[in-house]
Parts: sequence; structure tokens; C-alpha cells
Amino acid sequence: MPPSRISVIDDAGRPVALGQPARRIVSLSPAVTELLFALGAGDRLVGRTTWCDYPPAARQVPSVGDGLNPNIEAVIARRPDLVVLYRSALNETAATQLTRLGIPAVLVRQDRLEDIARAARLLGRLTGAERAGDSLGSELEQLTGSVRPDPEHRVRVVFVAWDNPPVVIGAGSYLDELAGLAGAANVFHDVGSASATVGLETIVARNPDVIVVLRDSATAEPPGFTRRPEWRAVRAVRDGRILYLTGSLFARPNPRAAEAVAEFRRRLEESTR
Amino acid sequence: MRWLGLVVVVACALALAVVLGPAHVPLADLATSDVVRSLRLPRALLAFLVGGSLALAGAGLQALVRNPLADPSLLGLSGGAGLGAVLAIALHVSSPWALPLAAFAGALGAMALVYRLGLVGGAELDPRVLILAGVAVGAFTAAVTTALVSLSDAAELRNAFLWLWGGLSGASWDSVLLLCVYAPLPIAVLLAAARPLDLLALGEEPARHLGADVESVKRRVYVAASLLTAAAVAVSGVIGFVGLVIPHAMRLLWGHRHRPLLPAAFLGGGALLLLSDTVARVAVAPRELQVGIVTALIGVPVFVLLLRRWTAN
Repeated sequence: MPPSRISVIDDAGRPVALGQPARRIVSLSPAVTELLFALGAGDRLVGRTTWCDYPPAARQVPSVGDGLNPNIEAVIARRPDLVVLYRSALNETAATQLTRLGIPAVLVRQDRLEDIARAARLLGRLTGAERAGDSLGSELEQLTGSVRPDPEHRVRVVFVAWDNPPVVIGAGSYLDELAGLAGAANVFHDVGSASATVGLETIVARNPDVIVVLRDSATAEPPGFTRRPEWRAVRAVRDGRILYLTGSLFARPNPRAAEAVAEFRRRLEESTR
Repeated sequence: MRWLGLVVVVACALALAVVLGPAHVPLADLATSDVVRSLRLPRALLAFLVGGSLALAGAGLQALVRNPLADPSLLGLSGGAGLGAVLAIALHVSSPWALPLAAFAGALGAMALVYRLGLVGGAELDPRVLILAGVAVGAFTAAVTTALVSLSDAAELRNAFLWLWGGLSGASWDSVLLLCVYAPLPIAVLLAAARPLDLLALGEEPARHLGADVESVKRRVYVAASLLTAAAVAVSGVIGFVGLVIPHAMRLLWGHRHRPLLPAAFLGGGALLLLSDTVARVAVAPRELQVGIVTALIGVPVFVLLLRRWTAN
């Protein structure tokens, strides 16, 4: 009997074929690392990025550095039979280089929850865990389909990624999606990109109920900008309605989205009480 | 006539900055609006002060080093300010004034280093050495800053560049007040140096023969221009182009005498930054452009026009 070949089309439209389910995988993105562990293929991971911090077991896997514009030599040194990359222009070049060296590489989009659902199915096939991939995929698809249209009662939030100049999250980001699922509305939903520099005046005019601050380290102290005089013009800052999102649960779209939605909803209720 | 024209331009720029904005404020409510009082007005005043300071410092430095390419950012100050700001973020200093203070300290550090390197034989300030030292210090601090940012795990650091590339969104009455208290001294020192700077344009030897205390003038102008730039960078990041081109543009209109040139550069720089910031706030609302892009987009055509008129005569 001929070996059953696995062939898929990745998110950049490139065909990728494997002779057998991947056994030595290098994951070049934190979300893919999480997905592989969620599919029970964590033990096949032989390389990860510096940023892969979840689950804790991922930290035991050797790091190959950055996931964007990766260090190809460090990746090859792990002798992978599959490399999974975040889909971007620079990474397409890296994927081509890897393919030329005989190492199968897939580019996976992972900007929104539906991307993660699709990636779950794709990685399931590539690792021979098709059933787990499909069930995680449909779980995530169900979640994204569960937005209830009750715009009247939505908490209006602004996601502040940086304060000077003010950078906010727009509709292109996963967080905008997360807000919708948690029963809130992003006041900068009209901004199409993932993030954008906006005027403080516009934030004042849109008058959000809650300021959501993104931070990559958990500190007890509120960010300095909430004490800056110009930010006091924003009502939610004056009222101290500030909510912090830290840690890997909110940093990127991931298979724990249902948990993230529940946690965000709980925190929103807390801060508007 | 020219002075009246310049003052009218400044007044119009100020009025536009207060009236226009992404938030809708009816004309009748201008005086009572919170947005105008706590955001637009301080930001407009800060834009004027920063633009004026940069252009005045640029005019002074160009005369001092007798090089038309001299610009406050060429003297290593922006590099030092950037390093200071990035260090403040890396060390998790979360005080609301940490960033501007650290940038100011960094700029002063760079200034002191460049000044020391520029002192030839321990006493005489050599303009050529000053520029080379400035470029060297600037390149070195920029390299250290970039290394810190790219090697760090904190995504927050990447945003430090956003701040560094300049903008007036940190404007508040506090920052306006701070600049109003701080800036008059260096501004006065620069304006008072108008006559010796005229002499210096003839060359250091002739200036000395005509009775100018060349060494002291060079030091005073360098330190005053640096202090002014350091404060501007601290409140608004590095805004390019104003300090380079406004002095040249004003020279084309007012000639090379520094007594009219220096105040004209202050008013012209203030007006350019005011107009540019208004465009940056309004043009792509709700988004905001980087003001440095706009200063170049508005300033270059105006400058080219003046240059054409001047070369045609």
C-alpha cells in the first residue's frame, strides 16, 4: 500500500504535502504553539519563538528566536519536518527558502478568531489529529457566531495600546472581535486597520464608558497616562473606569478564546458596576 | 509690511488650530467647550512655542557653525533624548512625567558630551568639530537605542519610537506653562546675540578684530540653542524640518541680519508647526498624521517657491 500523503493548501495559497503526519515541528508563532498543544501535538514541537509563553510546557521547548523574519539557520538546526509561520510578506520569503531546502513550511493567517478556527483544522490534518482539529475548529466557529445583536445595552470601550501619541485598536484586530463577543462595542470600530494613531480629542468626543489598557507585563500600578492632565479630559479616565488586559490570554487570538470572552465580560461588568 | 504679514499668518494659524478639530464644536460654543479649553488651546500654544523654539535654535546654530545644513537634530540632541526616553520605559518608570524628563536628561547629556568634544585644546569651541561630534554622538545613541528596543521583550518599547518621532498629543496646560517658564531665558540669550552673530558671519578673525568676544558668543549660542531644543524634544519628541528650513526661508525674506532674522524665525517656525499640527489632526480624522510628515509637506513647497523667487532676482 502506498503511504497516505497529506496535502493541504495554506493561507498564502501554497500547496504543501507531507509523506506522513509531522513529527518534528517548529512553530514560529505563539498562537500556533498554543494550538499544537491544544491538539495534543505539543510533544512534537522541537522549536518555538521567544514569545511562545503558553502553555507553561511550551517554555521547555528550545527557542529559535523571533517569529517574524525568522532566523532560518536556527530553524534548520532543529531538523524539523514541518515549519509553521505567521502569514506575512517577509515570512513568505522565509517559507520559500525553507521549501527550497526541502523543509515543508505552511503560512497560517492568525489575525482573527475565524483564522484560528481554520488553523486548528489545518494543523489537525498536518499532525494526523484531524478529529481534534475539526472539533476545536467548530468550537471556535460556534463562538464567533454567537454575537448577540443588542447594540442598545453595549458597554462602549476604547482599547488604548499606547498613550502618546494615542494608539487605539480598530476593527482589524482580534480585540475588536473579542469586545463584540463579550457584549461591548469598540468606539473605534470604524477604523479598519488593527490599530491606528488617533487624536485625544476624538477619544473625548466618542466618550467611551471604559478605557481598556493593553499591557505586556502585569504591574499593580496604573499606567502613568491616567494621571496626565490632557487625558483627564476623557470622562472614563476622570471616573477611573480603566480595565487592564495583560497576559497571553488577551495578547493574541488563541484557542482559549471562550475563556478570554468570559473573563473580559466579567471584568467589564466589574468595572461598570 | 513683512512683519504685519507674518503676524497675520501667526494669528490665522492660531485661530484655525482652535476652530478646527476632529470633534465637532459649534462656533458659538468655542469659549465654553471643554475640548477647546483643555485640549485644543494648550496644544495650539505648545505647537507655536515648540515650532518657534526649534526655528530660533536652528537659526542660531546655522550662524554659529556657518553651515547651512545645521539643524538642532544634527547636534546629537535627538539621539540623546531618544536614549533617555527608551531607558525610562525599559526601567518601567511609570510617572506621568517620566518620558519627557528622561528625554530632557538624555538631550542634556548628549549636549554636554558634544560640547566637551567640540572644545579644541580645552578652550576654543571649533564649529567643524562640533558638527562632527554631534553626528557621531547622534549615531552612537541611535544605535544603542535601536539595540535596546530590538533586543527587549517588552512590546511597550517599540512604541517609544512612536513618541520619539514627534507629535504634540502630550500637550496640556502644564507643558505650556513649563515651556513658558523655561524658554524665555535661552530665547533672550539668542536674541541678544544677534549683533555678534552678524559679525561672526564675516569669519572668526574679522569678528574678533571688530570687537566681538567670539569664544563667549559661540558658547552662549550653542548652550542656549541646545537647551531650547532639549525642552522642545522633551515635550513633543523630535520634529524635523522646522529648525532647518524656516531659518533659510526667513533669510530669503529678511536678509542675513540677525536682529530681524531671529524673531522672524521664531514667528515663522511657530506658524509652520501650528498649521502643520492642525492639518495632522484634521486631514485623516479620526486618525492623526505624524506632524513631521506635514511640516515637510507644507514647508518644502513654500521653501522651494521662496528659493525660486530668490534665485530669479
